[in-house]
Amino acid sequence: MEYRDYYKTLGVERSASADEIKKVYRRLARKYHPDVSKEANAEEKFKEVQEAYEVLKDPEKRAAYDQLGPGTQSGQDFRPPPDWASGFEFRGRPRRRGSPEADAQFSDFFSSLFGERGGFAEAAAAAHSGRDHHARVDIDLEEAYRGGTRMLELRRPQQTRDGAVELATHQVKVTIPAGIADGQQLRLAGQGEPGHGGEPGDLYLEIHIRPHELYQLDGRDVTVTLPIAPWEAALGASLTVPTLGGPVQMRIPEQSRAGQKLRLRGRGLPGDPPGDEYLQLSIALPPADSPKARAFYEQMRRELPFDPRANLGS
Amino acid sequence: MSSISETHMFAEGEWISVTQVCRASQIDVAVVVELAELGLVSPRGAVPDEWQLPARELARIRTAARLMRDLGVNGSGAALAVELLEARRELEVRLRALERCMRGIAGPD
Repeated sequence: MEYRDYYKTLGVERSASADEIKKVYRRLARKYHPDVSKEANAEEKFKEVQEAYEVLKDPEKRAAYDQLGPGTQSGQDFRPPPDWASGFEFRGRPRRRGSPEADAQFSDFFSSLFGERGGFAEAAAAAHSGRDHHARVDIDLEEAYRGGTRMLELRRPQQTRDGAVELATHQVKVTIPAGIADGQQLRLAGQGEPGHGGEPGDLYLEIHIRPHELYQLDGRDVTVTLPIAPWEAALGASLTVPTLGGPVQMRIPEQSRAGQKLRLRGRGLPGDPPGDEYLQLSIALPPADSPKARAFYEQMRRELPFDPRANLGS
Repeated sequence: MSSISETHMFAEGEWISVTQVCRASQIDVAVVVELAELGLVSPRGAVPDEWQLPARELARIRTAARLMRDLGVNGSGAALAVELLEARRELEVRLRALERCMRGIAGPD
């Protein structure tokens, strides 16, 4: 297990005051909070900062942590000393139950010192129901369209017969209904934290649909940008276009304009009512990269009375 | 150890009890009341303890709860942040669509 230098994580001196630590934590939490941050690795950074603050904000934990010795370097191999946390007088107040997401994701280093097996655990927790757990599941648009089943591997703490706590892996089969929307929630009753003399918690899954390279999703509707040639826009054309259910034939009307949207009813994500597919036309120009093509453009300039800036009013 | 369990999808327009919301978001009913007063959520029911909320609002309640807990902001701050985050997400989607459209006009290169 690697030693973690919590002072370094927050970027403060070992002598920093509680007030200073709080200020720095607030600044870093704001910077890396996964809900608001655009920083790379924001979630990971946020967890590190939270873990460091969890220890350094609490005078007892901080004092115990400081005893480990300022000589140890971050990343260095570490074992808690055998007399760890002895000599500290615990007030017997209930351990603050943090957010389940955060608690479960603190490092091994943290759990060995302050977790259930560390010296800071309570002797006997009162009977309580298990907490609800939350997880995010990323799926592809195709999966949202078709629906399907998924085996999720979840790790959760579990008490063994001799009272120790270990992480047990269990698998959960999740049915993803066809037409599930981005951000939609699934609830798996009883699959959260096991209860201690109470009901187990539930597991909530928040579905996120990954951005697709072709389709833009808006609710149940999808939009595809469809490049067409100038003559297809001017004269109309019959084209094969992609849809989530497979390619279909459609007609581009004469005199179509760039940016115009054509609708394929019911070709979006399934539902009641199902979404539509929109084809947003974009007109691609043939390159003038040969004498023949240049001559053709010259001829259009001479023979087509066309002023693209007629509406600019000058 | 392996187990199989059934999933329940919150359907569009489904309502969930305030108890379930509080449990899932680790917050007190008082916080839900505050967020409702601020217009972030729209409960139905006579008294807060019997309230029901649209299931689709669970995600924004949880985001607000996380912001309040992790950043020390109050209800108004969290509600404002959630609304701005949602607006930002919407703009990002539209921006991506526009960029794609512009690439289409520029043609393949």
